[in-house]
Amino acid sequence: MKLDARRDPAAGDARTDHDLVYAARDGDTIAFDALFYRYRDGIFRLGLAITKDPSAADEIVVDTFARAHRALARLEPDASLRPWLYRVAVNLSYNRRPRKGVILSSLDDAVDEPLANEDGSPSHVAEQAELRRLVLGAVDGLGPKHRLVVVLHYLNGLNLTEIAEVVDCPVGTVKSRLHYALRRLRTHLAAHPELGIEPSRPLMATGLRAPKPVTAAVPLEGE
Amino acid sequence: MKFFSRGCASSEAAYLVDAGQLGARERIALEAHAASCPDCADALRSSRPVDAALRGAFAALRERRTIIAPGRVRLAVGPAAPATTNPWLRAPRVLGRLAEVSVMVGVTLFAVGTSLEPATRSSSPLTSTPSVVQSTFRGEIPLGDIDYVRWVRLIKADASSTASDPTRLPMGGRFDYDPVEFAKGPGASPR
Repeated sequence: MKLDARRDPAAGDARTDHDLVYAARDGDTIAFDALFYRYRDGIFRLGLAITKDPSAADEIVVDTFARAHRALARLEPDASLRPWLYRVAVNLSYNRRPRKGVILSSLDDAVDEPLANEDGSPSHVAEQAELRRLVLGAVDGLGPKHRLVVVLHYLNGLNLTEIAEVVDCPVGTVKSRLHYALRRLRTHLAAHPELGIEPSRPLMATGLRAPKPVTAAVPLEGE
Repeated sequence: MKFFSRGCASSEAAYLVDAGQLGARERIALEAHAASCPDCADALRSSRPVDAALRGAFAALRERRTIIAPGRVRLAVGPAAPATTNPWLRAPRVLGRLAEVSVMVGVTLFAVGTSLEPATRSSSPLTSTPSVVQSTFRGEIPLGDIDYVRWVRLIKADASSTASDPTRLPMGGRFDYDPVEFAKGPGASPR
C-alpha cells in the first residue's frame, strides 16, 4: 500500500479530470502533475504496445503531455481526459513506428519482466510465458486497426465508447473490429490445444457457406 | 475475400459477452437465443477462453510502469511566458539594455582601434627604411651596361612608388581604347 502511494503520487488526488484541467489552466502545476501521474503509465503501455520500444514509449508520454499542456486552454473534458490523451498517444505512436523494411520485434519482447504473482515451478512459469508469447504473437498478426482495438481494450481497459473516441469512429465500427479480431484470434489460437480454445465451426472458418437447397421454381397457374 | 461468412447477427454480440460489453439483461437474452442458434452457441462457448488468454497475455504488459517525472514535460514545453507586463517595470529594463549596448559598442570600438594601430605604425618604418647601398648606388650613374640597367630600374621603381597620382592605369599605361573625339562642324551630317 505504501509502495503504491509512493509510486503513484496522484493517487490521493480525488479531483476529477475536469477539475484538474481547469486548475491546471489557471496555472496550478500540482493539478497538471496529478493528471500526469494519473495517466502516464497507461500511455506508456500503449506506446510500448505499438512501438515495442520502451525509450520511444517514454518519449511518447512526454510528447503527449506536452501537447496536453499546450492545449490546456482549448481542452473541454466532459468527464475524462483519457480518450483525448490516448488519441494523441496513438497518433504519436504510429508516427514513431519503424518504417517498412525495419524488422519489428514482437509484442512479447516488450514483456521482458515475469509477472510478480507468477509462482510455481520453473517449468510452469516457462509454460505460461510460452502461452503468453503465442497469444501476443497472434495479436501481432492482426491488422493495425484490429490490433489497436484489442490493445486498447485488453491492455488499457478502455470500453467501446472510449475506444470509439480514441480511434474516431462509431461505436458500431469498434464493436465490429473487436469481434473480427476475436474471431481471428480464435482461429489462430485454436491450433494450440494447451490454450483450450475450440476451433471455429468449419463452415465459418473457411468462409464457405452451406449451399442453399436447390428448389425448383413452382410454376404459377396459368404460366 | 471475406474471411468469415455472415452467420447469425447476434454472434458478434456473443463474442463481446466476455469482453464486458453487454449488460446483464442483454446477456440473458443472448444466452436464451444461443439455445436455439448454433452460431451464437459456438461464439459464446469460445469467447471465454479467448478472452481469458488475452487477459493473461496482457497481464505482464499491464505491470509495466515508467519513471518519467513531470519535469520532463515542463522541459519539453519550455519556459512559461511572463504573466505580468507592467509598463513601469519595463522602463528600467530599457535603460539597462541601452547601457549594455553602449558599453558593448565602446568595447568593440576600442578593440578595433587598438588592433589597427600597430599595423599603421609598423607600415611607416618599412616604407622609409634607409638603405645606404641604395642611396649610394642611386647617387652616381654607373658606367657599366649591366649596372646602368639596374640603376634605371631602381630609379623607375622609386618614381612609381612615390607617384602621387592615384589613377591606376592598366599595363602599358593606356586604357583599352582611347575615346575618339569627332570633330563636328556646323554642316556635318550624322553619317
